[in-house]
Amino acid sequence: MLQHGKDAAPPPPTRRRFLTGMAGAAGALAAPAALTGCGSAGSGGGELVFWNFYGPQHGPDPAANRQSEWFTKLVADWNARERVKVRLQYLPTSAYLNGSKVPTAFATGAGPDIFLCSPGDFLRYYNGGVLEELTPYLDKGVVEDYGSTLTSRMVGDKVYALPMENEPLAMFYDVGAWEKAGLSEGDIPGTWDQLLDVGDKLRRRGRAGLVFETQPGYFQNFTWYPWMWQGGGDVLDREGAPAFDSRATRQALQLWQDAVRHGIAPRTNPAAGDLVAGFRSGQAALWQNGIWQVAGFKAAAPKYRYGVFKLPVPAGGKYVTALGGWSFCANARGRDPEAAARFCAWALGSMREDCVARMTEWCTVAKSDVAPRTSALELGARKGGYDAAAMRAFKDEIFPGGRAEPRYPPVVYKAISDAVQGSMLAGRSVSSQAERAAESIAAYTKSYQGASLI
Amino acid sequence: MTSLGTVPDTAARRPARAARERRRLSRKHREWLAAALFLAPDCIGLLLFVGIPMLLSIFLGFFQVSGFGSYRWVGLGNYERMMSDPLFWDAMRITAIYVVVLVPVLFAVSLGLGLLVKQKLPAVGAFRTALFLPYVISLVVVGLLWKFLLDDQVGAVSGAIEDAGLGHHSWLGEPSLALASLIAVTVWVMMGYYMVIFLAGLQEIPQEFYEAAKIDGAGPWRTFRSITWPLLRPTSFFVLLMSTVAALTGGLDLIFVLTSGGPANGTSLAIFYIYQQAFIFGEYGYASALGSFLVLIMVLVSAVVFRVTRGGRFDDGE
Repeated sequence: MLQHGKDAAPPPPTRRRFLTGMAGAAGALAAPAALTGCGSAGSGGGELVFWNFYGPQHGPDPAANRQSEWFTKLVADWNARERVKVRLQYLPTSAYLNGSKVPTAFATGAGPDIFLCSPGDFLRYYNGGVLEELTPYLDKGVVEDYGSTLTSRMVGDKVYALPMENEPLAMFYDVGAWEKAGLSEGDIPGTWDQLLDVGDKLRRRGRAGLVFETQPGYFQNFTWYPWMWQGGGDVLDREGAPAFDSRATRQALQLWQDAVRHGIAPRTNPAAGDLVAGFRSGQAALWQNGIWQVAGFKAAAPKYRYGVFKLPVPAGGKYVTALGGWSFCANARGRDPEAAARFCAWALGSMREDCVARMTEWCTVAKSDVAPRTSALELGARKGGYDAAAMRAFKDEIFPGGRAEPRYPPVVYKAISDAVQGSMLAGRSVSSQAERAAESIAAYTKSYQGASLI
Repeated sequence: MTSLGTVPDTAARRPARAARERRRLSRKHREWLAAALFLAPDCIGLLLFVGIPMLLSIFLGFFQVSGFGSYRWVGLGNYERMMSDPLFWDAMRITAIYVVVLVPVLFAVSLGLGLLVKQKLPAVGAFRTALFLPYVISLVVVGLLWKFLLDDQVGAVSGAIEDAGLGHHSWLGEPSLALASLIAVTVWVMMGYYMVIFLAGLQEIPQEFYEAAKIDGAGPWRTFRSITWPLLRPTSFFVLLMSTVAALTGGLDLIFVLTSGGPANGTSLAIFYIYQQAFIFGEYGYASALGSFLVLIMVLVSAVVFRVTRGGRFDDGE
């Protein structure tokens, strides 16, 4: 009766039962947390994630803060009118460019819905099948408004990325150092020989006379291309056949080698590559760099006296500069590729006034760039965005001779990078370096399958 | 009533208790189970985060991977490509130089510091802490710090060397010097850690041995050669093995910040080249094959170290 009665007291728990019960309770508590951990980090109920290296963030650099605000406003404007929301995901620039996060995310099928892409990465993404076509979402006339800037972001007549900026390269010089060296505006070099001569006059102990990029990478190649193009050289010819081993290539490699060999150009970037800091601290007097430095001066040293001029040309050569810049892309394997593509087109590819004004705002207020669309460039000029001397020089003199950064895949990039590094910093024969790189490029192009390399 | 009631109850429970007794584990089995339970968290962690990824990496080495989810079986194709990749063998050559120079220098410096801080010096604790500090600093910070110290134009260290009359050199910009600079910075970072390990080993040596040697008239060198060195063998083995493995597979962060593998691939160690292949070029299959090959080299080198040092055992086999 006692054992089976309803009022019987429960038997005292054994040690085993106690431990089993505790383990069960712990398991029950842990299970939801574990299952939550299994879910996608970005699965936020139809929300699209936009990976970028601008915002949202806040730091000591006022220029970076302005750029972050532009991105934040862009997404807020979209979210205010659309059902599918977009969320910004900030990654530090170095992590975005050289880190493992972005490639790992794409490799595991967890790439961002919207992301920024440089020309150097375009083919890898396109051949990997992750670029959603944007053409159907663009307003009529947008492709023409972009003009040649779109070429390296198209395959056939289809658009896969929308540039947000055009960033030409030029020579920046420190006016104070220039004057102290007894140089005037009339001494601005027009040829390579004059460039080396001026660099030689500007150098002092602790100050580089002329700075070319020294760190191996996509950026160094980007800054070297115009010197090769100016002599009529190229990596691939118009038919896509290898053309690297040429007189123009060798003379461009020779220019950088001579600058370093004669001690005019340093072997490492002054001030860890920070041009504004390098000029202000007297570590450099003349530096090949991009239009984005104008915003850097405006933010960090608005009263600093500096000047810009076009890249000098070799004897018998023709002026060319390289145009860099990033683009908006939609992930074809994202949560909602159609909405992501609509976002990109709404942000940069519409003929509406607010879209054109947005691009103008990015290129003349948040940053200092040449707007890639004619309408935005004209609006920027009307609003006084190119009235400052440096911006006017970029718009009227430096940009018109520009050529878009090529979209060579990693093997081609690496072959060129090794040739530049080998001749510039290891002092190897320019002929052997050009020949070796040409062989690598030829071997690669033979077996390459994918969209056109040019 | 109570007693009458308990007798049949106890009798009924007896077979159940006997069955439980039979089910109870022996002492040996219980100890085995306890050991297994204590080890399980570590083993599961190692299996999940080291063992399985390692196996997957070896497996991935037989595929061509696009980096966007497409896999194509290529068998030994990646290994064939590796055999004819001059840049990889350049990276292996540089890695060999790096290991051959770094490991003995690091060993000698750490041992020297260990012997030094074992002495009863004033403020020796502060001295030990100062020497250990570089090890706890982030490698990215270390890289940036040394990048400024070795700067061509305004670097304090490069300036001091120039002022000493040794000429103007670009310590990170000349291929012949960049690797030496990388090794020097690595020694600076790691020496504190191995110093502490040597110090622990030195403190394990009984003081009586030194006293006896002193009575016998042995000088410092003879004492070191006959007492310290042989009795430090297990510690030396550990330092040698760990620093070799670290040199073969580490250094990525420092290279990234200091040189990006340049100038002219002068500091492109195998581990950096593998990273580039995977995360810059998206060649995950090829990078996995290279990684597996590097692990194989590491195992072989470790086996040689084991063989040469007899696993750090003393002469009598202890």
